[in-house]
Amino acid sequence: MLRAGLTATRRHVLAVSTSDPGLANLSAPAITDLGPRPANGTAALKSWEAALASQQQLLVTWWLDRMVLSTYPLVERLTWFWHGHWATSIEKVVYPLPMLTQNQTLRTYALGSFDDMARAIVVDGAMTYWLDNEQNYVSAPNENLARELMELFTLGVNQYTQGDVEAAARALTGYSLVSTSGAVTFDPSRHVSTPITILGSTRVFPDAPSLATFLVAQGPSPMFVVERLWFRLVSSTHPPTPAQIQTLVTSFAARNISALVAALARSSAWSNPALSLARSPVEWLVAACRALGVQPSTLPADLVLGFLNAAGQVPFLPPNVGGWPSDLAWLNSAASELRMKMAEALVKVGDLSAVSSVSGATAPTVLSNWLGVASWSARTASVLSSLATTPPQMVVAALCAPEYVVSA
Amino acid sequence: VSCPELTRRRFLQWTGAAGLASLVATLAASDLAAAATTAPLAPGTPILVLLTLCGGNDGLNTVVPYTDPAYQSLRSNIALSGAQVAPITGSLALNAAMPEILALYQQNKVAIVEGVSYPNPSLSHFTSMAIWQSASPAEAVSSGWIGRWLDTRPRNPFDAVAVGSTVPPLMAGNKRVGSLLPLGGLSVPPSIFKGLGDPSRSDPAVVADAAGSIADLYTTATTFSTVPLTALSGSGLDRAMHVVSTMIGASVPVRVWAVQLSSFDTHTGEVRTHDDLWAQVSKSIGDFMTEISATPHANDVTVMLYSEFGRRAASNSGLGTDHGTAGPMFLVGNSVKSGLYGAAPSLSALDANGNLVATTDFRDVYAGVAQDVLGVAGSDIMPGWTSSISVH
Repeated sequence: MLRAGLTATRRHVLAVSTSDPGLANLSAPAITDLGPRPANGTAALKSWEAALASQQQLLVTWWLDRMVLSTYPLVERLTWFWHGHWATSIEKVVYPLPMLTQNQTLRTYALGSFDDMARAIVVDGAMTYWLDNEQNYVSAPNENLARELMELFTLGVNQYTQGDVEAAARALTGYSLVSTSGAVTFDPSRHVSTPITILGSTRVFPDAPSLATFLVAQGPSPMFVVERLWFRLVSSTHPPTPAQIQTLVTSFAARNISALVAALARSSAWSNPALSLARSPVEWLVAACRALGVQPSTLPADLVLGFLNAAGQVPFLPPNVGGWPSDLAWLNSAASELRMKMAEALVKVGDLSAVSSVSGATAPTVLSNWLGVASWSARTASVLSSLATTPPQMVVAALCAPEYVVSA
Repeated sequence: VSCPELTRRRFLQWTGAAGLASLVATLAASDLAAAATTAPLAPGTPILVLLTLCGGNDGLNTVVPYTDPAYQSLRSNIALSGAQVAPITGSLALNAAMPEILALYQQNKVAIVEGVSYPNPSLSHFTSMAIWQSASPAEAVSSGWIGRWLDTRPRNPFDAVAVGSTVPPLMAGNKRVGSLLPLGGLSVPPSIFKGLGDPSRSDPAVVADAAGSIADLYTTATTFSTVPLTALSGSGLDRAMHVVSTMIGASVPVRVWAVQLSSFDTHTGEVRTHDDLWAQVSKSIGDFMTEISATPHANDVTVMLYSEFGRRAASNSGLGTDHGTAGPMFLVGNSVKSGLYGAAPSLSALDANGNLVATTDFRDVYAGVAQDVLGVAGSDIMPGWTSSISVH
């Protein structure tokens, strides 16, 4: 019965809809083109800096709100996955508007065509600045975007040579950028228009999106995307079997992301409780807020961002172009301490009515049903029962229990 | 691009192994409880502090061949000269942004190993960092070099500790793994939740890891929380190095510390960024050496700095440099013998991609550190590796 319940939960997680009632009352964030940084010592600088800080914060809390409030969370879950895949950091980009635009692009294609997504991101303003493509000139190519496009975004490491990186950089030339807005302009006269040899194939690449399409169409690309998705949604410790890889790669033949996610959900691995992932700080916070009915933007921003920052995972601020560490990296003593402190803050404002009348005997079952945990170990059940008379502490224990920190 | 900090997945992917999951679980509550003594570290016990410079440090603008005409011509738009360099020999200078390191060099406390890399160097941040952290360029292994040192020792969660929010793969062995201390220190949580860290037979591997991390918290927090940490305002690196010097001063029984600094990936606008980073590194090392000088461990500490690769000899037109190969390593300590080790790579004999050709293998440096600081032979943690460079 528990397995059926688990499968049902997963089926719900996979549901999507064109309209999401949970998000109906969440307005678009007031994020604007802030213009260039005013000169030092001017009065304008102070208000510019204040607006920058406030919009950067708004960007994060707005997205957390979407993750928590959505009735059909799959779109946000996949947008979050793609943010880690095409990891771009506001630390370098600075301006919130290009980051918001990229986020909306990732959401648009989150369950769409990987080819369309790659074509859009390769000329995305935040990505262009993040990997220096506005400084990639015919006379002096900059390899940054070219290398990561192949290594981290489309093919995987060791699928290309240094010569391919240099050639791909030439296929990405011709773009300029307004960094404050993220507006990207293509000037064909500043682009290499002669045939370029990449991965053994010689052809004219009329623009950067044509290179993206070429790379996404290469043989190793589907396998690479399948492994990335498996790693984040199924297990980082148990790789897919050759048969599972075959099925998943086949489902992705047309580079249709929703077909791949559906194939993943049909896989026996999807309902195998042995294949589980630790929730990352953002995933844990969002799950806890959903359970307790807490909208992140209503919490003190210092509390939310302080937790995420200390835990090492602030949305829009990945540590590097490779994205955040894997699930096991979140299972350390420091993260355990941070979760306890955050859970203590959440239970003060959250809705605990679901557990208001539990007894020591009923606490474990009530909590597992409420929080969607398949079952507690004897260890955890015993702690929960012992705290039944103090529901806030009992809920802290449940949210920090190993079985909740790890999502089946 | 910021810090190419390794994800465990990249490490596993590169090494083709899947051993780390069960590994973390081996640090179960009972093991940690046994090791959670506060036995102070005896003065005279060598301590290693690893500082990873993430992103690929531009070695040519760190240890500068300032008199080589090829240096100016290869990178005329970012080449340092005049007051930007502080000569240490007739042909090499330190970047002038690192005055504390220069002073320590002059006090005979800094070894600079030049031209360090490994055969067939990778230009990928992630692959190259995995190679440096595993110390196995040619063959895939699932463990880090400090992790394999932990494997040679009895279980002790204090042996190797990373400061920050993740444990780097260099501290993951086949049987043991390093611990973690956040910048703000650890406080002991309420005892009512302690039972959540107990092992349970029904736990799948990842759940067991989660339980182990809770047990780990109670164990290490009990010791670390006895050491008061002063709140510092400086950079993250300043604060991390201050945490390490404070813990060393309190004789916490940690043998290997790991700290990291990101943002060395200077594809564009390099000079200012690179100078700022080295100013941070230099100040934090200078402060650190001052702080430990008043402790009983002043002569026991070796700080080792490395990056996953150096950068291209020629600059690009964005006033930066693309990924390269060989670069310098620094080892700092009162018992380190100052001087230049290895050999500066030639600027007139670059490889086919325009990169420096290494003169020195990083495993020689690791082997020297293994012998002088960790008390094991290089071959104990890097099977078959017999040569070494000792800077002590």
